[in-house]
Amino acid sequence: MTDALVLNDVRKSYGNREAVHGITLSVKEGEIFGLIGHNGAGKTTTLRMISTLLRITSGSIQVYGHDVATEPERVREVISYLPEDAGAYKDLTGRKYLEFMASFFKSGEEREAMIRRGIELADLGDRIDSKVDTYSKGMMRRLLIARAIMPQPKLAIMDEVTSGLDVINAFEIRQVIKDIAASGVTVVMSSHNMFEVDMLCDRVGLLDQGNLVVVGSPAELKEQYGVDTLEEVFVKVVKG
Amino acid sequence: MNHLTNIVKKEVRELLTPGSVASVIIMVILFASLGGLIGGEVEKASGLPVLGIAGYEDNTVVLEDGTEWNAYIELRDAYINAGVPASDVGQYLRTVVIGDRDLYDVMKEYEISSLIVLDQDFAKNIEHNMQPDTTALDLRKAVIYEYYLYEPTGMFGSVSSTTVNSLVDALNNNLSSLLIKKSIDNPSIYSFLANPITHGGHNMKTIVNGVPHDGVTPQAIASEVSTSTMMVPIIIMIIIMMVGSIVISSMGSEKENKTLETLLTLPIKRTSIVTGKIVAAAIVGLIYGLAYMFGMRFYMGSMTKSMSSGVDLEELGLSLGYGDYAILSLSMFLAIVCALGICMILGAFAKNYKSAQTMTMPLSILAMIPMFVIMFSGWYGSASIIQGLVFAIPFSHPMMAVQALMYDDLTLVLSGMVYMVVFAVITILITVRLYGSDILITGLGQNKTVQKLTRK
Repeated sequence: MTDALVLNDVRKSYGNREAVHGITLSVKEGEIFGLIGHNGAGKTTTLRMISTLLRITSGSIQVYGHDVATEPERVREVISYLPEDAGAYKDLTGRKYLEFMASFFKSGEEREAMIRRGIELADLGDRIDSKVDTYSKGMMRRLLIARAIMPQPKLAIMDEVTSGLDVINAFEIRQVIKDIAASGVTVVMSSHNMFEVDMLCDRVGLLDQGNLVVVGSPAELKEQYGVDTLEEVFVKVVKG
Repeated sequence: MNHLTNIVKKEVRELLTPGSVASVIIMVILFASLGGLIGGEVEKASGLPVLGIAGYEDNTVVLEDGTEWNAYIELRDAYINAGVPASDVGQYLRTVVIGDRDLYDVMKEYEISSLIVLDQDFAKNIEHNMQPDTTALDLRKAVIYEYYLYEPTGMFGSVSSTTVNSLVDALNNNLSSLLIKKSIDNPSIYSFLANPITHGGHNMKTIVNGVPHDGVTPQAIASEVSTSTMMVPIIIMIIIMMVGSIVISSMGSEKENKTLETLLTLPIKRTSIVTGKIVAAAIVGLIYGLAYMFGMRFYMGSMTKSMSSGVDLEELGLSLGYGDYAILSLSMFLAIVCALGICMILGAFAKNYKSAQTMTMPLSILAMIPMFVIMFSGWYGSASIIQGLVFAIPFSHPMMAVQALMYDDLTLVLSGMVYMVVFAVITILITVRLYGSDILITGLGQNKTVQKLTRK
């Protein structure tokens, strides 16, 4: 399998404070990779650098062979980023929102097919024609995930994808992520939910104060630390 | 559909919400109605006053040759000469009996707010003064008392008392001319004696834009120009503040909902996003601007007709033609683009919708400074340092352009437009740069320079 994402000694400073201290890792094509860590560990900053939203202070990031610093527009053609707690344009209906987003990727019949796929993924029934400001948090998240996945990106970057959702919505969204990974899309996600990461991710990277402390599959990490759950791995790594 | 068009359409749809369109329509209707209302008030106030008169019955002046003069008859004739039918004069000129009653009660009873009362010795004193043997030391005063009821009728409430005052002045002049004619040996030279120096009219010229015009004073022209143009700075300030607020709020809202983060990770050039936002907001701003202008046309039309000082600006070559309006619209469009450039920069630092609201403060101040300067002292009447400050603020230029176009000062208008183009380009370049930086995502708090300053 080829590398979908390669981070090489990536550092990010805000003023004089270094938030990410030289992360090096690679993610294989079709893999679901989870970034875990406590608040302020550098997860969102790392995802934003991969998504071309933040500039890298030093090091390099390659997405399907394209450098985020020198070829950001090529990178944006193959990625899809879903920020934590993201929203949509409140005056649009769910359908209009998907139509607006699809226009940036395709035109004509291909665009129509993309919109149909988005509507199917959102699975909002008649509510797809309601204004998004009437949506519940779960409905909004479904719409945004549909938006992120409908262009069939090569790399989907999802920040706290099920944060604040109820059990049913979280379950259904995890199912969607599994399905897209099965179709060959690489997924890099962050989460505070260790159960979710354990269940979904092929590999996990644990960030602590901007450092990538350990990387491995959930099974490997549990075995390495002699514990039963990923949560215990997390506590052992962070608290020592 | 290309990305730029897609962004422009989305932005226009967001900016032209039913709420914002309704507020503009309401403002336009308000302006139009306000003009009619003020015009109506002015006309009402400057029309013929309802006046009470008392003490005239036994106060007819009878001169030695038998000529009689009565204040009521003179006032009645004045009303008739002003177009009131003789049978209707009683509605305007009410004969009042005061007796021992309180003046306030009397005026309320007769429904009058102005009352003139002739002194009981009015006629007797005039007749005494006209005696051949009367000396300067023997002269007696003939008094007419004026009483007014003060009512809170707004800024034009004083106009009717001014008209009554003029009527009493006219009585004075009328009686004066009668008495002088009776006192001189050759009454046919009275008009010469009353006005021995001829001036005004064709003998008075004011040079406007190099062309002399008869019978107008610079003060009257300035008053007319001021009346015709006083609303322009206010309208432009409102447009700048409104469009600016909408754009900054939209940026704040995009950040709060993280729709901006999503937009920035789509395969679109940053320049397309910035240009799309600015073009859409400029289109909306221009629509608002033209709507306000439309409302203002009614406002000014109704108001200036009634407040006019009688000077015809078109005759003086000071009115605006179609070309001037085209230049004015272009100047306004450029000012809006400059405002949007500033807003995009300010909006980049807004963390959310709430913080975006406070970001409009610098823009409001920048829009208010030229408005006050131009309304109260005007560009041409300001000191050089003030002119420099006003010129540097891009929104000043459409405010100044109206008067500058009236005075054919194209140098000021065109140099202002060139300045605005340069200003807009610089702000757009800064915005594009900001869109490529971290500040848009992280805000100012994470900026190295700001961190240093905060620590200090």
